[in-house]
Amino acid sequence: MHNCLVIDLDRCSGCHSCEVHCKMENGVGLGVYWNRVLLVGPTGTFPNIEQYALPAQCQQCKDAPCVNVCPTGASYRDKNTNIVLINKEKCLGCRYCMMACPYGVRWFNQDEKVVEKCTLCPQLTSAGEKPACVHNCSTAARLYGDMDDPNSDVSKAIAAAGAENVHALPDVGNHPSTRYILHKKVATWRES
Amino acid sequence: MSTQWALVFFTLFAGLGAGLFVAVTATEWLGDAKGARLPAAVVALVALIVGGISSVLHLGHPGRIFGALGHPGSGIFLEMLLIGLTGLGIIVYMVMLWRGASDSSRRAEATVTSVPAVILSFAVGNSYVMASRPAWHTIVLPLLYMATAAVMGCFALSVFTSLRSDAVATKRTALATLIALGIQVILIIIYLAHLASAPYADPSRSAGRVLSGSLAALFWAGLVLCGLLIPAGLALVMRSKKAAKFSPLAGAAVGLVAVLGGGVAFRALMYGVGSAVKNYFGI
Repeated sequence: MHNCLVIDLDRCSGCHSCEVHCKMENGVGLGVYWNRVLLVGPTGTFPNIEQYALPAQCQQCKDAPCVNVCPTGASYRDKNTNIVLINKEKCLGCRYCMMACPYGVRWFNQDEKVVEKCTLCPQLTSAGEKPACVHNCSTAARLYGDMDDPNSDVSKAIAAAGAENVHALPDVGNHPSTRYILHKKVATWRES
Repeated sequence: MSTQWALVFFTLFAGLGAGLFVAVTATEWLGDAKGARLPAAVVALVALIVGGISSVLHLGHPGRIFGALGHPGSGIFLEMLLIGLTGLGIIVYMVMLWRGASDSSRRAEATVTSVPAVILSFAVGNSYVMASRPAWHTIVLPLLYMATAAVMGCFALSVFTSLRSDAVATKRTALATLIALGIQVILIIIYLAHLASAPYADPSRSAGRVLSGSLAALFWAGLVLCGLLIPAGLALVMRSKKAAKFSPLAGAAVGLVAVLGGGVAFRALMYGVGSAVKNYFGI
């Protein structure tokens, strides 16, 4: 089992609904993010201009550098779901995992003195529900499921999109699991 | 990434302690600076302790540090182990000096202790080598940490040789300082080349930002002037025939302050260019 997100950027309107509901569900404070919607672009020359929204959060890397560098095992991979999580009671607050994350999607909680990040809402998924960002996405752009199951929502979406339209964030050996669907007719995927 | 000052001072003082003790070990092999060895060893130990305390100040929950004992593969565990071994070795060395142990046994003990000290000066920099930070992803970075440790160790030792009016040892230490500074210059040039050619190019970690951008003052005034030119000038004066006209102690002390300042500048510079491959949350 390898649960992760697939985000259809063709559909994403950049409404920040996922960001807001992530904060509400997980009690993420003001100015702190577990999930953030960014705008890529505008690029090109008028009238041929393109722009797309890019929701960024923990990419659930297969070879997660944050897990590899953690000195106490606080950053770990859940054996059942393969989701990378943080045990706050073990976290030293050394922020080494923040340095090791290639995407800068971990946050240091100044009040609790520990590092936090997207958890894919296990409090919901363990009860059969979807993560808050997926459930509340206003354009149904966010999908959650088991990448190893060919019948899951995420696997079906990837298969339907075609390999040339499925993208991932830059891979420096960490092998991110999250996939982004973006067709060229909507915008050109920009890695850098 | 914002400058983590506690870690800046951890690596600075760990490097100073390790570098100074290796310099003491060199005096054991060369047979000079006998009067400087004990105070230098004491200061090396104090520097390691100060470095260790600095690293603890960085932690959100220092009480959980023992959790690191269960993960011996982590960089923090290795640094803790090396500081412990080096500190313990220095204490044993000081006891041997105090008890008047033989030259050969003292030399052997200092040499064995220098092994974790040298590895420590490398390891504190090697912890930063990670693919997620293209500017840090090079072996040159820990080698630069080693080079700064060597320069700091040399100048710190020359303070004690000057205090003991040991002109021969002071001149010899100045030569070692110049060699270490030369190596540091070469490493800095290679590091700048790495910045210019690292993958996932970004203005935040470009060589241009270091040489002529927002980090230029830190680079030229901090690293080049304080960390290289002033210490090189002082080391040259210490070795020249005109050295008698100047106070060697003042020169060594100013040089030590300058290389410490250069060491801080280098580490702050490292954090300045240490942005992630993609910095989505703007941290």
